[in-house]
Amino acid sequence: MNIWKISIKNLFHKPLYTVLSILSLTISIALLISIKQLDTSVKQQFENNLGNIDMVVGAKGSPLQLVLASVLHIDNPTGNIVYKDAKKLARNPLIKTAVPISYGDNYKGYRIVGTTDAFVKLYDVKITKGKDFNKPMEAVLGYDVAQKTRLKLGDTFLSSHGFNDDMGHEHPETFIVVGIFEQTHKVIDRLITTPLESIWDVHNHHSEEDGHAEEGHHHDDEEHHHDEEHHHEEEDNKQITSMLVKFRNPIGLITIPRQVNEKTAMQAAIPKYEMERLFNFTGIGVKAISWIAYIILFISSIIIFINLYKMVKERAFDLALLRTYGASNFQLIKIVAIEGFITSIIAIVFGVSLSQLGLLYIFNVLGKQYQQSIPSTLEFYNVFQIILWVLLVVVVAILFAVIPILKMNVSKILTDEK
Amino acid sequence: MIKTKNLTFQYNSNGELFHFPDIDLPDEESLLILGKSGIGKTTLLHLIAGLLQPKSGSVTIDNVSLQTLKNKKLDQFIGKHIGLVFQKNYANRSLNVIENLQARLYFSKQKQNKSHIENLLKTLNIIECKTKKINELSEGQLQRLGIALSVVHQPKVILADEPTASLDDDNCKIVLQLLLQQSKLNNANLIVITHDQRVKPMFKNILEL
Repeated sequence: MNIWKISIKNLFHKPLYTVLSILSLTISIALLISIKQLDTSVKQQFENNLGNIDMVVGAKGSPLQLVLASVLHIDNPTGNIVYKDAKKLARNPLIKTAVPISYGDNYKGYRIVGTTDAFVKLYDVKITKGKDFNKPMEAVLGYDVAQKTRLKLGDTFLSSHGFNDDMGHEHPETFIVVGIFEQTHKVIDRLITTPLESIWDVHNHHSEEDGHAEEGHHHDDEEHHHDEEHHHEEEDNKQITSMLVKFRNPIGLITIPRQVNEKTAMQAAIPKYEMERLFNFTGIGVKAISWIAYIILFISSIIIFINLYKMVKERAFDLALLRTYGASNFQLIKIVAIEGFITSIIAIVFGVSLSQLGLLYIFNVLGKQYQQSIPSTLEFYNVFQIILWVLLVVVVAILFAVIPILKMNVSKILTDEK
Repeated sequence: MIKTKNLTFQYNSNGELFHFPDIDLPDEESLLILGKSGIGKTTLLHLIAGLLQPKSGSVTIDNVSLQTLKNKKLDQFIGKHIGLVFQKNYANRSLNVIENLQARLYFSKQKQNKSHIENLLKTLNIIECKTKKINELSEGQLQRLGIALSVVHQPKVILADEPTASLDDDNCKIVLQLLLQQSKLNNANLIVITHDQRVKPMFKNILEL
């Protein structure tokens, strides 16, 4: 027999209290870790997706929408810009890389992005199978696209108009798969990239077939205006959806966006800044849930305190008896403290496991909705911080619970109980 | 061997001052302290057990003055050399009979010898309850466990506070016989305090307060 065994036997003696303590603490730990991890993972995912993009230039409208559409590829674009204007801007010496992208179509819900070979540089991504595109109608698939659609090298597919699978009709032009990217956990995983010319070709032919009378009929999305006059003109008069820009040095970040917004018909948006704005909105929800979790933590600490305190009070005679056996005050405190710590360690193990199981499920659902697998990042620092909080709260509960032991008058307890 | 000298005690500074007669009990002798309620019997017992500190005077057990021991040393001394028996018997309810006795030995820093414990339970006739929880024991079995707890660590002094108050005549006799038997087996002093006149014939040394 020793102190540990006595503590454990005490816990088993009142299983209901013990389970209640463990359960409430488990829930608060699981909530705290989940919310923290979810927040970090999603933020990291967004930041990851920003890649090396310092600025995005597109049609005027909401800057957040422009970023969501052109950088994260989850919203509709604000409109089109003239490629010539964009090219002119790209000649600015402060700009290191400028990548035009053009949208319009999807395959089974995966967006087809018309761009140049500079696009891959923004994401530091390699092609694992096949080669990069170099002719119109050649396509390189993102990792997730290849996985989900089961398209292989050499396969052909027809694009559908619009951004969602069910939005439009199919175009008659067939794309051919020439390459597949490695998995990056970035937005490129769920994109199909192809030369800009593919998009222009598809839509030009499309317009020709539809004829003048129907102009605009299938093009009520403003971003798909392709005037008849344009398709015989040189490339520079074509339209693109937006241009992704990386600066040579930070000065560009200060001067160029303002320049674009004030002096051109285009709009410049800074992805990092827009993301921060977005997180400020979502942050409120995260904060609210965090607060709820902290409140539950507080309540469970009170439950633990009450259980330990009750044990100390109800078994005052037992504890006094142990003192007559030769136990020191410190040993009695140890019994209570070990009970508290065993409870919290079990709760921590359960809480961490529960949070990981829950997150596995959440990330699975999110991944499906987002069409992209999100890596769940467990920040040990965060978990460590939460565990420290929990232990601190438990220590305080224990300290309050052992006060009666310190004030215990053995003789009086033994006399009163008679 | 127990000696007390000029023991006085006061619960608070303006409360009643208790004076106790000196006790000088040689090895292996037993003593009955008789007295009415409120006269300070339990106080005297707790002074001898080192659970209370006297206002003046001293308690000496085996040539060690309790007044010279402090905190942990006093705890250890009490645990090792004194066994207490109470009117109502309590034991730790989360432990079973044998675990309680092991805990008793653990805190007085003695070997948790299982055969020693089982022999004791045999002599006290409760060996069949050794793995029972405390709340599964009958009154009589609990009483015997109380005695076992007071002697399992082979103390020098057994102090019993009204051990027979709630017992009928037969059980009163049995309990006292067991206490006397155990004190003999352990070569310990036995001091019983009570207002119960029935136990008088069983003692040679009697102190009336």
